[in-house]
Amino acid sequence: MLFNSLSFVVFLVVVLALYYSRIFSWTGKKRMLLLASYIFYGMWNPPLVILLWISTVVDWSASKQLATHHLNQRKRKLWLLLSMFVNLGFLAFFKYGDFLLENFVSLMNAIGVEYQARPMDIILPMGISFYTFQTMSYTIDMYYRKTERARTFLDFALYVTFFPQLVAGPIVRAKELITQFYEPKRATANQFFWGLFLLTAGLFQKVVLADTLLSSSSDAVFDSGKVMSALDSWTGTLAFSGQIFFDFAGYSTCAIGIALMLGIVLPDNFRYPYAAIGFSDLWKRWHISLSSWLRDYLYIPLGGNRHGITRMYVALMLTMLLGGLWHGAAWTFVVWGALHGIYLIIERMLRGVVHIKIGKYNGILLALLTYTCVNITWVFFRATDFDIALGMIKSMFFMNPEGELILGEFDIVKVMVVIALTFLCHWFMRNTSMKEQSEKLNPLILGVVWAILFFMICISQGTGEQFIYFQF
Amino acid sequence: MQLKQSFIVAIVLGLVALVAWEVYLRSTMKSHTRIADDKALWSVQRHKVNKLASDDVVLTGSSRVLFDVQLDVWEEKTGRRPIQLACAGSSPLPVFHDLVNNTDYSGTIVVGVTPGLFFSTIYPLAQPWEWPQSRVDHYATRTFAERSNHWLSIPLQKNFYFISAEEDDLSDNVDLKAILSRVRWGDRVINPMPPFYQFSDMALDRNVRMTDLTVTDTAFANTVKRVWKFFMADPNLPPPDRDGTMNFFLADARKFMERGGNVVLLRCPSTGFFKELETGGLPREQFFDALADSLQIKGYHYEDYQQLSGYDCPEWSHLSAEDADTFTADLVDIFVDEGVISNTKTN
Repeated sequence: MLFNSLSFVVFLVVVLALYYSRIFSWTGKKRMLLLASYIFYGMWNPPLVILLWISTVVDWSASKQLATHHLNQRKRKLWLLLSMFVNLGFLAFFKYGDFLLENFVSLMNAIGVEYQARPMDIILPMGISFYTFQTMSYTIDMYYRKTERARTFLDFALYVTFFPQLVAGPIVRAKELITQFYEPKRATANQFFWGLFLLTAGLFQKVVLADTLLSSSSDAVFDSGKVMSALDSWTGTLAFSGQIFFDFAGYSTCAIGIALMLGIVLPDNFRYPYAAIGFSDLWKRWHISLSSWLRDYLYIPLGGNRHGITRMYVALMLTMLLGGLWHGAAWTFVVWGALHGIYLIIERMLRGVVHIKIGKYNGILLALLTYTCVNITWVFFRATDFDIALGMIKSMFFMNPEGELILGEFDIVKVMVVIALTFLCHWFMRNTSMKEQSEKLNPLILGVVWAILFFMICISQGTGEQFIYFQF
Repeated sequence: MQLKQSFIVAIVLGLVALVAWEVYLRSTMKSHTRIADDKALWSVQRHKVNKLASDDVVLTGSSRVLFDVQLDVWEEKTGRRPIQLACAGSSPLPVFHDLVNNTDYSGTIVVGVTPGLFFSTIYPLAQPWEWPQSRVDHYATRTFAERSNHWLSIPLQKNFYFISAEEDDLSDNVDLKAILSRVRWGDRVINPMPPFYQFSDMALDRNVRMTDLTVTDTAFANTVKRVWKFFMADPNLPPPDRDGTMNFFLADARKFMERGGNVVLLRCPSTGFFKELETGGLPREQFFDALADSLQIKGYHYEDYQQLSGYDCPEWSHLSAEDADTFTADLVDIFVDEGVISNTKTN
């Protein structure tokens, strides 16, 4: 079920009505939320709810064992490995099965072995990368005794399946969410209305900005199959940078808003990333729940910055390569991750050599430089193959002077205006938050802004396009 | 924060703006509210095929079958309402293939033959193939969420102009994306396609009727004619794939007939520019007749029946709503007389 769909509107109204009715006790409300979450997921593909159940039962059993004090270290490790084997096994099979097979066939053919295999055409369960990472974080934290075991199976099952963030994050840690289920939760009037505002803002980002204003220009460029001019390739890439941000940040904003309407607080997932100065800063602002997950469960265990500079660079690169692969089973995603790895390494190298005091004016230029470099990586993220990506890069660097014109003047102006406003908005908001700024606003003005968002969503409608990150 | 106040302001202003938008659209739109002919609507009809009996009828083909065969008239005369699965601008082959290979249905399938589309291609990425195939695929993979979205959208589509969920890029679509896509500045990229407006209304069971405006307003009908001419003048238009399409269809038709199914070919009227084009470029002897003869399938060409001929298509390709009623009544009579379909009213 998509947030930008009529079914979800009805679903949410029913869930809220039941949640705030006096029918259920707190335990009853949690059971209702759990059932609603399974319905939310099952409306897409009912049999795949079984994966959620398996993940839940395995990690619950593993955490039960990891919580017992008399268990020896070897057995504890085995329970952790079981959890990781099941979760990573799901990912390997469902998400990377065809990719692995394809590469195996290529490898065989490369060494002269004639071998062909039919693609398995495995269905990709929605949000599998998100909920497997979330449950794994729980068992890993249990193993290192960084978190308490969930008090009841119901609390844990709800943590795994909580519908607002089930299919596209934020990837929430156990101690951030499970503990909120222990006591009855009820949103205050302000929390409820702020949650509703966030839901409206998130839908506006997705339906109006991503799908209506930017997606067609991005698609026209990336799907043209033509050698194009520099202006078209830059416009298409900038359009995609806006589309992917508004699509994903829009989802996260909706998720946070919906949870808040239930009185549950989810962490921020985006903090105006296009105003980042440098790449370490970027990853503290973009998909924060994934980057912090990768930092805590991959980069630090790989040695982090504790074993010298070379090892740190290797750890950084491996983390970003796997981060790229997390997004999709294709080498283009790996290259996207590799570029970010290279950026981070270069930044670390320059840190010891170049000392820049960041002020008001050079800051915005450095942010613009960072954003430009990020756009180059987006080409590999969006392109379906390397030929398209390399063709785009060539065009962007003025190597195709005879390139074709793809977009009309209005499309170019539309994209440039939206992206310029986005960048400036990120810059002015980089050290603050929407909540903070809204508190300063006259309620009447906030109401007018809210009405505009609502009206724009209604007249855009869209065709209920899926969120891009559902495929990851 | 006084968010409750903000919320009340937002609801009031938002609804006022929406009502104003709706009133504005109603003052400018030339037809009434529209049910979108999308893959969800098609899938609802496709699902009904699974429950059909052997004396039921399924209609496939292109837009001519949609416009020219009226379901109300057919039902009135035979006591049974056909299932309308024809798709505008499409080859009927993907839908026919789906019916033969993915259902147990063994009744009558009427296959509309618009020569330029039927014999166009079997290439899966070509538009006349990809469109209907996307609907077949959607039916096979639609989720419960998609089904409920469609079900919930119907009352909105029926009652509000501002709801615009058309899959086609029409020049009178009113969603923001469509409005913005029509804005043209400068001549950097020229879109040579003339404006293309909706000229039909669709019911929930996909019964299509040409709008009165298309019949009464010659200038409006001419806008549609310009679009047809534009399509036909495309220098990249590939030549018809007569053998490929015929072999593909005949393999399915043979399979369907072997399990007791009945296939009927129907060539609906065309006039003016289209008739000249079809007569010259796709002569019936080499195409329509050859197709019918190759498997001894019954082929009904409008020129062979006095009562099916003599119509004037307002935009060369489809019948007006009134003419479509008459055409359907006569067609059903012919079908009943020749034993193609049964009349449950008299049986």
